[in-house]
Amino acid sequence: MTGDLLLQAAVSGFLLGGVYGLVAGGLSLIFGVLRIINFAHGAVMMLAMYATYWLFTLLGVDPYLSILITGPAFFAFGMLVQRIVIEPNRFAAEHNQLLLTLGLALFLENLALVLWQGDFRTVRPAYAAASFVLADALVEVPRLIACAGAVVMALALFAFLRLTDVGKAIRALSEEPEGAMLMGIDVRRIRAVAFGIGAACVAVAGALVAPFFYVAPDVGESFNIVAFVVVVLGGMGNFVGALAGGFIVGLAESLGATLLPGSLKQLVVFALFVLVLLFRPAGLFGGGHGR
Amino acid sequence: MLRDHVSRRVFLQTAGAVAALGALPAVGRAQAKEVKLGYILPMTGPLAFEAQLSLNGLQLAVDDVNAAGGIKSLGGAKLALLPGDTQQKVELGNSEAARLIDQGVSALIGPFSSLVAYSVRQVTEKNRTPFMLLAAVADNLTEGGLHYVFRVQPNGKAMSTLTMNNMFEMAKTAGVAIKRVAMMHEDGNFGTTMGNHVESFAAKLGYALVQRIPYNLKSPDFTAELSKVKAAKPDLLVISGYYGDSKIIAETAAKLRIGVHALVGLANAAYSNPKFIADNRELTDNLFDGNYWHNPQSARAKAVFDAYQKRFNATLTSHGVQAYTVIGVLRDALERAASGDRDKLRDAIARTNLADHILPQDAIKFDDTGENANASPALLQVQNGKPVVVGPARFAEGKPVFPVPKWHG
Repeated sequence: MTGDLLLQAAVSGFLLGGVYGLVAGGLSLIFGVLRIINFAHGAVMMLAMYATYWLFTLLGVDPYLSILITGPAFFAFGMLVQRIVIEPNRFAAEHNQLLLTLGLALFLENLALVLWQGDFRTVRPAYAAASFVLADALVEVPRLIACAGAVVMALALFAFLRLTDVGKAIRALSEEPEGAMLMGIDVRRIRAVAFGIGAACVAVAGALVAPFFYVAPDVGESFNIVAFVVVVLGGMGNFVGALAGGFIVGLAESLGATLLPGSLKQLVVFALFVLVLLFRPAGLFGGGHGR
Repeated sequence: MLRDHVSRRVFLQTAGAVAALGALPAVGRAQAKEVKLGYILPMTGPLAFEAQLSLNGLQLAVDDVNAAGGIKSLGGAKLALLPGDTQQKVELGNSEAARLIDQGVSALIGPFSSLVAYSVRQVTEKNRTPFMLLAAVADNLTEGGLHYVFRVQPNGKAMSTLTMNNMFEMAKTAGVAIKRVAMMHEDGNFGTTMGNHVESFAAKLGYALVQRIPYNLKSPDFTAELSKVKAAKPDLLVISGYYGDSKIIAETAAKLRIGVHALVGLANAAYSNPKFIADNRELTDNLFDGNYWHNPQSARAKAVFDAYQKRFNATLTSHGVQAYTVIGVLRDALERAASGDRDKLRDAIARTNLADHILPQDAIKFDDTGENANASPALLQVQNGKPVVVGPARFAEGKPVFPVPKWHG
């Protein structure tokens, strides 16, 4: 195995890792505040990718610019879903809440199947084919932009959680729900906001990957399963941990593909998952307290 | 030719019947009879879209047969399609097949998935009902000494070996040697089967399989895998995959300047798909694909395409072509059997020698296992935004561009 191959694997794994981190960040935030595992996360990403596709195809909106539309739209969509579907079941048993989000995912995927059929669609702006070579490693421009965009979005959210009142309320709720309630925080609203932010995260991620990916009803699965691994790796509810976990999983996957034969790269990811659960059940960076 | 024969016989029969029954018009008599054909397809679920393409082909063909006077040796009996939905599930495949057989179908058509087919063929065998496989390509479906299973389209083995053959023939004509082949395939049943055949065919055709990389089709990045392929310096890169994965692979291979003579899809779901090509113009230029196709030289095929376009406002796909052909085979067999009886129909199908079809192959004949002995994929190349048949030579509608300059960077 030559150094070139490893370098290439490291670069491409790192670039994808940023996207994993953003998707997982949203999932982690939702878990931290609402204490539910949102299986519909990938399905929301899929819807956002369709939104990006239609904006691009019908109105000619650049996928990256469309974030200005889909980001807020999916924030609102997330809040609405939380209010209508999740909130009424807040006191239901945990496994029922799990089934609820799973059901939501199935509903959204089948809705997409009915509305837009199972055929694949491509968002292909002019720069989709752009790439350059950096020290013998290929860097695909759309993937680089996706990674950078994901990191910027994650940092912005981190600042938001640290510096604004709503952000502080989210962290308070994540850390100590009863205390937060007693301090007069409108926890109902904050829960909806957190779910909305989670949805906005995947919406942004969806738009960022669209130029090098494809759009189909089950496209969310490509990121959703990995996102769960990342969340566990980074610590449930730990936003920054999720971003770091994203890079770790991206690198592990890519280096696994280089060093191991065939489809074993998936094995590396899930081996990592099991190992973390066994030895660091709170995640590599500790459980989330609104960090 | 065959048709003239039959019409004369039918004419005499009909005339006789009219004479016997007095004033009863011939039309009335023809409508009294029908031959039921059952289909089982995954009409709902993840393959609903593709299943509909097959069903469109079946319907178009059945209506064509009926409009042309039905089955003449059966007094102009009309074909009737009876529906069954498998939802891509084995149990439903079995129960729907049994239900349709109960309802008296002469033959069963379907069921798309090889897994469902593997199970349903027990039901059809037990009930002595001809089972025309549609879209299911697993090699083992015709194994096991079954008598009632028939398959018109190439199975996995024929698809992969004939595609490699076509590529090698073409390379020979171009004076280019192919010594090293790399293969990437999705790691499910379809891709693995194709990979196995390409691997085992290496010795016979004289190439070395320098890299074989199975991959998970949900994987969002193949840069590491393709870097390995590039390092192995192959002459060809063969890819058996579905739509999204194949797109990302072609994209990344181009950016990596992978340096092969050609990128060749093998029963690839994307590379000869008109929609994929339209969505990814410069990416798809000069891609090859060995796939199920029609015969571009056939005037009849053109007529079928036009009729399909007019009726469904869409381009006929290979799913539709296969379905259309299956009805043609059944019509021919029914004419010769002059009966809707399942056993007689089975024997007639087994003796099929049908030259009047729209596939890129010689006459449709079935071997002892029920496989179409002359089944052949077409070798396609995307040229000017269109999939063009470039092989086998006698069906070709254009000249191949080979080696492809763009893959050399």
